Amino acid sequence: MIQAPDLPLWASLLVAVLLLAGAAVTLTGSLGLLRMKSFYDRVHPPTLGSSLGMVLVVAASILCFSVLRSRPSVHELLIAFFLTLTTPVTFMLLARAALYRDRMEGREDVPHDDA
Amino acid sequence: MPIACPNGWGRECTDAAPPPVKRNTAPPGDTEISAATADLLWVLLALPFAGSLLAALLPARARNAAGLVAGGTALVGALLTALLYSSLADGALRAEIAWLPSLGLDLVLRLDGLAWIFAFLVLAIGFLVVVYARYYMSPEDPVPRFFAFFLAFMGSMLGLVLSGNLVQLVFFWELTSLFSFLLIGYWHHNETARKGARMALIVTAAGGVCLLVGVLLVGKIVGSYDLDEVLAAGDLVRSSELYLPALVLILLGAFTKSAQFPFHFWLPHAMAAPTPVSAYLHSATMVKAGIFLMIRLWPVLAGTDAWYLIVTTVGLATMGIGAWAAIFQQDLKGLLAYSTISHLGLITLLLGLDSPLAAVAAIFHTLNHATFKASLFMAAGIIDHEAGTRDLRRLSGLYRFMPYTATLAMVAAAAMAGVPLLNGFLSKEMFLAEALDTHSGTPIDAALPYLATAALALSVLYSVRFIHQAFFGPPPVGLPKQPHEAPFWMRVPIEVLVLACLVVGTLPAITVGPFLDTAVRSVLGSATPAYSLAIWHGFNRPLLLSLVALAGGGAGYLIFRERLNAMSGAPLIGRFKGRKGFDAVLASIVNTARALERRLGTVRLQPQLKLLAAIACLAAFLPFGRYGYSLGDATGTIADPGFVVIWLVGGACAIGAAWQAKYRRLAALILMAGAGLVSCISFVWLSAPDLALTQLLVETVTTVLLLLGLRWLPKQRPDVWPAGRPPLAVRLRRGSDLLIAIAAGCGMALISYAVMTRPLGESLSTFFLERAYAEGGGRNVVNVILVDFRALDTLGEIAVLAIVGVTVFSLLRRFRPAEESVRAPEQQLLQNAADEAREGRRVGDTLTDYLLVPRIIMEWLFPFIIVFALYLLVRGHDLPGGGFAAGVTMSIALILQYVASGTRSVEARLRVRPLSWIGVGLLVATATGAGAWLFGYPFLTSWFDYAELPLIGRVPLASALVFDLGVFILVVGATALMLIALAHQSIRTPMKRARPAEPS
Repeated sequence: MIQAPDLPLWASLLVAVLLLAGAAVTLTGSLGLLRMKSFYDRVHPPTLGSSLGMVLVVAASILCFSVLRSRPSVHELLIAFFLTLTTPVTFMLLARAALYRDRMEGREDVPHDDA
Repeated sequence: MPIACPNGWGRECTDAAPPPVKRNTAPPGDTEISAATADLLWVLLALPFAGSLLAALLPARARNAAGLVAGGTALVGALLTALLYSSLADGALRAEIAWLPSLGLDLVLRLDGLAWIFAFLVLAIGFLVVVYARYYMSPEDPVPRFFAFFLAFMGSMLGLVLSGNLVQLVFFWELTSLFSFLLIGYWHHNETARKGARMALIVTAAGGVCLLVGVLLVGKIVGSYDLDEVLAAGDLVRSSELYLPALVLILLGAFTKSAQFPFHFWLPHAMAAPTPVSAYLHSATMVKAGIFLMIRLWPVLAGTDAWYLIVTTVGLATMGIGAWAAIFQQDLKGLLAYSTISHLGLITLLLGLDSPLAAVAAIFHTLNHATFKASLFMAAGIIDHEAGTRDLRRLSGLYRFMPYTATLAMVAAAAMAGVPLLNGFLSKEMFLAEALDTHSGTPIDAALPYLATAALALSVLYSVRFIHQAFFGPPPVGLPKQPHEAPFWMRVPIEVLVLACLVVGTLPAITVGPFLDTAVRSVLGSATPAYSLAIWHGFNRPLLLSLVALAGGGAGYLIFRERLNAMSGAPLIGRFKGRKGFDAVLASIVNTARALERRLGTVRLQPQLKLLAAIACLAAFLPFGRYGYSLGDATGTIADPGFVVIWLVGGACAIGAAWQAKYRRLAALILMAGAGLVSCISFVWLSAPDLALTQLLVETVTTVLLLLGLRWLPKQRPDVWPAGRPPLAVRLRRGSDLLIAIAAGCGMALISYAVMTRPLGESLSTFFLERAYAEGGGRNVVNVILVDFRALDTLGEIAVLAIVGVTVFSLLRRFRPAEESVRAPEQQLLQNAADEAREGRRVGDTLTDYLLVPRIIMEWLFPFIIVFALYLLVRGHDLPGGGFAAGVTMSIALILQYVASGTRSVEARLRVRPLSWIGVGLLVATATGAGAWLFGYPFLTSWFDYAELPLIGRVPLASALVFDLGVFILVVGATALMLIALAHQSIRTPMKRARPAEPS
């Protein structure tokens, strides 16, 4: 099944490489989430998907649609912008909540307050 | 069914077509004049209601102004009615406004001879009563309110007599019940008044319901509710199978209103009303409404055995019982009340006799009774007003204190007793002549002359007793007030009425004759009999009976006078207390309702939900039990493994949510959101971006609002049972819940599967897909359906949303959380404690600081989300989006602000006015819809075009966008209102006992 038959070969190859790379990076992040043990370790791997993985996929999309429409089509940049802006918020809230809970429970393996 | 004609006249009178009707649309020549004249009817009807509104707006002490408004309204109305008389010469006047022509419901005003007489009585006697009431009512009473009710009642009564559509007639009928309730209960601080008013309302309104059903039956038989068509279809109605039920129901309405036995009991209790109200309600209006209805429908309903038997019997019983009870009354107004009942019975009896002459007598007596009874009530009011009591035993010899009033009352009472040369005598003679006439040959017929004479003798007796006890004899002793003559303007209305009694009584043919004739002809048409209004018909049997009644009544008073004064209630019928029966019926209804509520109701939500779910489930299964379950023959498609995995995850989330719901609400909520996201992904998968977008947004808002609500729920701890495991009842309950859930879920799945294996068939969606762009001007079919094809549904839905928002708000405004959830959350307490412990920090610093970066990011996102929301709104007509999605997005922007910065800080910077937003949204949407009227299109027709804008280019413009804007504003308002209702819980000062006093 060919979704975009008009795409020239060179572009198809490039888009495919970018997409697969993005997917691979994201998959790596997910595997990391699965393999890490503590919450504080686990916070890190998924960011692979929302940073590098996302950039690769967005690049693939920009390339694909710019070639198809024969004009620059860059509104995917907005996706990149807002994801970059909002993902940290989620992680910060999660980390704060975890930190608070663990400190209240007096757990030992909590990152220390250096201040 | 052939129609029985008991009197030999029947055939003729039933064939009588009503006189021709002059429609304001008919003949070309004088169309304009008659249309203009007919349109005056609207003015006439609107006048009292406008006056009522005006009077209601006056300050509570504006007695004179209210009196002027009321008197002016009634006078102008009466003059207008008088002017309209000349246009009745060639048929009825008719004015129509088409309202729901497809349902046969139009606003029709129709003025014929009968309606004219009643309208004139209503307005003229209304005017006299207003003059009287101005001087009767105490300055301490809120008189404008009285006149406002009075005028509204007058308008309802006018609407009733002018109605040219039966359903409209019932509407005004119920309005008279309502306003008479307000009038009777005007002195609402008085318990008797409240009870009397409630009784009158319940009895007459219940009769009104019967009447409505009866009228609907008649409409079903005739095929129209239009009075003209109904009147022309008498034969059809009488030969219909539904005739008897229709007759009984309509008569129930008439009998309750006209206080006929056994519903007469409400009338004496209504005497707790101010006397002007009694004078008005019980002479010319209210009770005459039933009589009016019977006369109005006489050509349609009368002429059968059933009519004769029911109406004659009830009329006879009422006449007898009323007259009998009246002679034993010690209260002046009570006497008049029972005499009213008796006279109403007399009129009903006449109508029941089924002969045109009797109908003439009935109309005539209605007129006469209105004049003398109104004046008698007013005279009784003067006595009460000036002597301070209405007790006949305490009153005596008032003639020397109030000679004018006494004389007037005497003339009026003589008219009531039927003394010659007064109007009562004439109609009474006609009545007696009819009573003597043979009608049906039944025992009732044979006994009628004797019973009639006896009742009339009683009527003479109570009239004499009224006059003699009150005005003659030794001077009164120990009255609460020193009696004196009433003020001039209080006597004038009585003088006018008494004069009317005299003039009609002496010169009937040239005074009332023509008007009566017009009225009679409008009812009987070509069957109008020859009748004579002369005073002297020769020495005949009616005159003999009349003399016997006069002599008998007078003699009876002489003989029984002392004994009557000693009685405290009427013998024979005294034990039948209508009120007791009424109270018993009412009590049993209330008790039954309470018992049912106890049996079937519960205050706990869980059993209610369980019942609902179980019944719905059962109802859905029933058809399968009857027709069986079978799959369609569509071939299955190969499931995409990715889709399967997504659905497995979604299913797991849903089951997990149910599993965790009892003790771990947070987990359940998160799992529920997971299931929601899966359905959102399914929509994307199946190419429904609009649904997916909406689902995503709604899911987000719902989850956040539920999370906010969780904070206020009491903690649920696992039950600890003594025996280690839950008792049987609990296990049974949980088991049955589980069974219902499984049955409902599996049933839903089975139904869906059976539906989806069948071919889709021709559905509405084809229509919408074809027309959306061509007629709605939008490429987003879902949105076009919402704002154009089904805009009325959407309008209804957003109205519901607004109501839900306001309901949640008002419920939560008074909400007091459980004591354990009142104090601040643990984390907040700890943070505040840490702040206090450290140098240089104030309480609350940690709370504001510790999420600094996320907070700033969230605050900065606010404008971006707003832009996104507007983008969704504007593009909604052609691409996924629309007012609802945009509204929810906008409310997410607000929620985010509340989450990031806290309620207080958001509201310090933003003006959040959800209630106004809801109102504005609803108004914008409705006004857009109504805007179509300006261009002559039906409500909610949309308009679209394209405009060239500089820089942006071709832009679609549709009025639907404005409608969508209304939806948008309303959705933002409703969502924000719920959010605020929840958010304000945490900044509200809890009740005193919940928190120790803080140093301020």
